[in-house]
Amino acid sequence: MVKELVLVGLSHHTAPLELREKLAVDGDARTELLKTWSQHAAGEGVVISTCNRVELYATTDDAAIAERQARALLESKLTEEERARLGDALYVRDGEAAVRHLFRVAASLDSMVVGEPQILGQVKEAYDAARAAGTLGSLLGRCFSRSFSVAKRVRTETGIAEGTVSVSSIASQLAKKIFGELAGRRVLLLGAGEMGEAAARSLANTGAVLRVVNRSPEKARRVAAECGGEPRGYEQLASEMVHADVVISSTSSDRYVLTTKLMKDVLRGRRFRPIFLIDIAVPRDVDPRVGDMESVFLFDVDDLQEVAQENLTQRRQAAMTAERIVDIEVAEIEAWRRTLDLTPTIVALRERFAEVVNGEIERSIKKLDLDVKGRKSLERMGDAMVKKLLHPPLATLKKSAGSPENATLIAATRSLFDLEHPSQDKERSQAPAGGGELVPDEG
Amino acid sequence: MPSLVGALFLGTAIAYTLAAGLYLVSLVRGAEGPGRFAARVLMAAATLHIAYLSADTLGEAPPMHGIAQTLTFLSLGIVLAFLLARLRGKGIDILGAFLTPVALLFLMGAGVGRSVDPVSTDVRSTLLPFHIGVNALGIIAFALAFGAASAYVIQERMLRRKKLGGIFQRLPPLDVLDTFGLRAVSIGFPLLTVGILSGAFWVDPVQSFEISPMHGMALASWVFFAGVLLLRLAAGWRGRRAAYGTIMGFICALGVLIGYVVRDTGVS
Repeated sequence: MVKELVLVGLSHHTAPLELREKLAVDGDARTELLKTWSQHAAGEGVVISTCNRVELYATTDDAAIAERQARALLESKLTEEERARLGDALYVRDGEAAVRHLFRVAASLDSMVVGEPQILGQVKEAYDAARAAGTLGSLLGRCFSRSFSVAKRVRTETGIAEGTVSVSSIASQLAKKIFGELAGRRVLLLGAGEMGEAAARSLANTGAVLRVVNRSPEKARRVAAECGGEPRGYEQLASEMVHADVVISSTSSDRYVLTTKLMKDVLRGRRFRPIFLIDIAVPRDVDPRVGDMESVFLFDVDDLQEVAQENLTQRRQAAMTAERIVDIEVAEIEAWRRTLDLTPTIVALRERFAEVVNGEIERSIKKLDLDVKGRKSLERMGDAMVKKLLHPPLATLKKSAGSPENATLIAATRSLFDLEHPSQDKERSQAPAGGGELVPDEG
Repeated sequence: MPSLVGALFLGTAIAYTLAAGLYLVSLVRGAEGPGRFAARVLMAAATLHIAYLSADTLGEAPPMHGIAQTLTFLSLGIVLAFLLARLRGKGIDILGAFLTPVALLFLMGAGVGRSVDPVSTDVRSTLLPFHIGVNALGIIAFALAFGAASAYVIQERMLRRKKLGGIFQRLPPLDVLDTFGLRAVSIGFPLLTVGILSGAFWVDPVQSFEISPMHGMALASWVFFAGVLLLRLAAGWRGRRAAYGTIMGFICALGVLIGYVVRDTGVS
């Protein structure tokens, strides 16, 4: 029987973080797991391990056995109590379903944040680790390298990665849309708060200069130290605003901190240089009327979340197109895999016929004592006979690829021509030559 | 060789239309393929255009002597300047969606003005080609600034209305557009100044005292661009106001050209 792809794994869809983090492997641990796993799985294996999923891939002819082995392997890393939870978390896919799953994972269709770009790198990492460990066979290798091109196709053809979906990355993307390069730009973080700090950090990571203003100097110092910025006193707010390009406001004030009056002064000082205000605070810090002022781009939490939601909807639509791409690619790889089933049979059948005919011709040549010309023409005749005799059965076999009767036909062919055993002719030809009167049993 | 010239003109016009279509598709639909293809089509169109211009010049009047040739030269100049600019500045490819239609418009204008005889000999002087050439170069620079300013206005409006899908994603950052526009205006402005002065004092000294609508338009254009530059340098103005000023200035410059086309076709 021909091998099929099989995968056993768990992901954010099925398992909580506590379980996933217990099973995640990296570096040497991954290599070790690969070696053990591939021993169970006829030498081929790949392990994808990210914070959102752990998946063991292999080629096998029996998915049930593979599942048992994978389960045992994973259980060995868990406590008694966790093992019980593993039961429901594990999923198994084989054949076409396994290929589809791999393609969807690589194309970020199965990700927590659909369209996020990291997963492809992580799948490539898994592929490289398997290649380094020598556990990458032809089927796995082909499926994985195909998954990379599927991911690339999905990315370029569907726009699944267009538009970010987290508030802090939307903030920094919008800043880039206004200012171009952010390196050297001034970012002002007003107040403290998890979301504000995250946004400030992601902006500072792009090379922007970060200033932190807080009513409490102590807090300003702490937040500045955490986010890689410089603290400034609250009395410097207006002058900092004049020089800032991006202002992230997340104070806990219950009144507007950036009023129209303050902003009028600030804008005069800025001479209409664009300023990007991100109001993450609830209740809001920035008077909404400020958003109507010249050169001010104001986004509050609802605006940002709306963008996130819109992007998410767009991604979902793109994902539908992406699924169709995956369908096409899976069909292609399946068609290729099915010829794998066929190919060994065709090769064996050809060899069997050629052996018989060539053996007979060899004997005739010896008996008839032919010259070179006669020999050649006899050999050509043999080749032509093999080709003509095999044409109808091979054509039928090839045509059946992918249809349900394919397996039956292959099995019938193998049994009729006894392809599972070495040919008697071969055995005979290894015996001392002679005995030209011997006629092979096979037709 | 009028049939060859005519065929080259038609070929150029079709190629520009195709390039403009591809650019618009890539702007609206965000497909990368048409965008890359558009630049290639535009290059092919420019080559055809050069061939057309050469054939036309060999067959007829010397260059820079009539409105038709001036418009053709403008059209080609805009395309070449854009192709050059996109080699230097990254991410402004999509401005082709704004500039290719302008180039096409000028070429069509040239088609309309083709029936017209070159400028009558009594107005001709040795400085006429200089006068037209300098103005044309100025207008080419303003066309580029106009493309950037139009993109700026759209981009700014989408940002303000928080419509952040599609076209917004494809347009370059505001700051890039602003800087690009300013650079183009500061190249175009001195050229326009010299062009207007040369027109008033050297080429056409007799008529310079009657204020024709074209003269008024040219002056208005000059005032707009002067305003954009002056406010920028003196008061640091930028962004939307500069973009609107640039668009108005270019529309006035277009008005001058349309005035010439109407006058010249009307006269003949």
